Amino acid sequence: MMTEANRNVEKLVRIADERFDAHRDANNRYTDRMLAYLLIAEWVFGVVLSLVFSPDAWEGKTRILNIHVPLAVLLGGAIVAVPVFLAFVRPGWTLTRHVIAIGQLLTSALLIHLSGGRIETHFHVFGSLAFLAFYRDWKVLITGTLVVVADHFLRGTFYPESVYGVTNPEWWRFLEHAFWVVFIDIVLVISCIRGVKEMRRLAEQSAELEAVALSHMTAGAA
Amino acid sequence: MMALPISRRDLGLVSLAVVWLIVVVGGMAYTWRYKTIPGKAAAAPERWPAASELRRPSGRPTLVLLAHPRCPCSRASIAELARLQAVVGSRTHSIVLFLRPEGMPEGWERSDLWSRAAEIPGVAVVADADGREARVFGTHTSGEVLYYDRSGTLAYSGGLTGARGHEGTSAGFRTIVSLVRGERADRREAPVFGCSLDTKSAELKGRT
Repeated sequence: MMTEANRNVEKLVRIADERFDAHRDANNRYTDRMLAYLLIAEWVFGVVLSLVFSPDAWEGKTRILNIHVPLAVLLGGAIVAVPVFLAFVRPGWTLTRHVIAIGQLLTSALLIHLSGGRIETHFHVFGSLAFLAFYRDWKVLITGTLVVVADHFLRGTFYPESVYGVTNPEWWRFLEHAFWVVFIDIVLVISCIRGVKEMRRLAEQSAELEAVALSHMTAGAA
Repeated sequence: MMALPISRRDLGLVSLAVVWLIVVVGGMAYTWRYKTIPGKAAAAPERWPAASELRRPSGRPTLVLLAHPRCPCSRASIAELARLQAVVGSRTHSIVLFLRPEGMPEGWERSDLWSRAAEIPGVAVVADADGREARVFGTHTSGEVLYYDRSGTLAYSGGLTGARGHEGTSAGFRTIVSLVRGERADRREAPVFGCSLDTKSAELKGRT
């Protein structure tokens, strides 16, 4: 038979769970919106980059439109369109944040193209992973990392010279490049797990405070 | 009738995400395919051409890079040349020839790319009026590098980048470093990526 104390504990756990779920959902929705605006800004940045630094290509003395411009506008637009759409139509949904993670890392790849493979632009990958850590969901980081690994693996397989500068690299070379991504992932995953624990602890403390306040009010009324 | 584990609306959104993924991965694949289509290779003379007006110092290898001054892809080639110069230093005599096509005014070739090349220590920057030297060296694509050894024999022809307008290690870069160091080079040629130096080149239309 359930005692009064057991009922109180059960109620406390339920309130803590509700608080935790509400906090996590609010964080997911906030991060969805934040990253949607970031994706839009990155798209605009990519278009400006192509228009300012490489709007034209040349054939002798004939000027032609550089493919960077349609790539930035159309492919860049396509990359951000669905993540942004989901962020506003279905915020907080699990698929939304994974699609945003894919869009964010594909944006990194596109910006690397548009900047001519500059090593500095590769830092965008690490920035992107750090932004994704705002979700405090380590599975989103795995999705983002898989995009980077797949990009290197596929390019290393079909266009090895463009990645490694040799035509027949060892099969494991993509792992060497992925290593630094995994390195930051380890730090971010630990941070995500700690963040979730922190949210859980705050939810429990909040529920306990509410219970204490309620018992004082009940005692006062009696 | 069995109920779906997710709503019709969410099912539609999942389908949208799958189609989106296929489209954007296809777009990225197209981008990479495009970036790895080389320009027309050079038919460079095996010996330093006597018809060239460039001076080749005896006893030192000579590197000639032919570039279109306004080719956006060649920014990567110039950046790689800067890296290469930092490695090989004064062991090579390096020249960057910037095309000035026929009919274009003097100074047209002095672009930001010219300035960048001129800032590289140990590199001489020269205008190639009417593309004369480009014809003498048999080159057609911006970013083409010709490396003549100290005896004046062609040891390497090709680009310094592994893809179109893309910085990073390349077969050409490694080959030239090996040659300068007197090591055995794996290859004598590599693809070149850049704008066409020829005004009429229908087969390269649309490529940078």
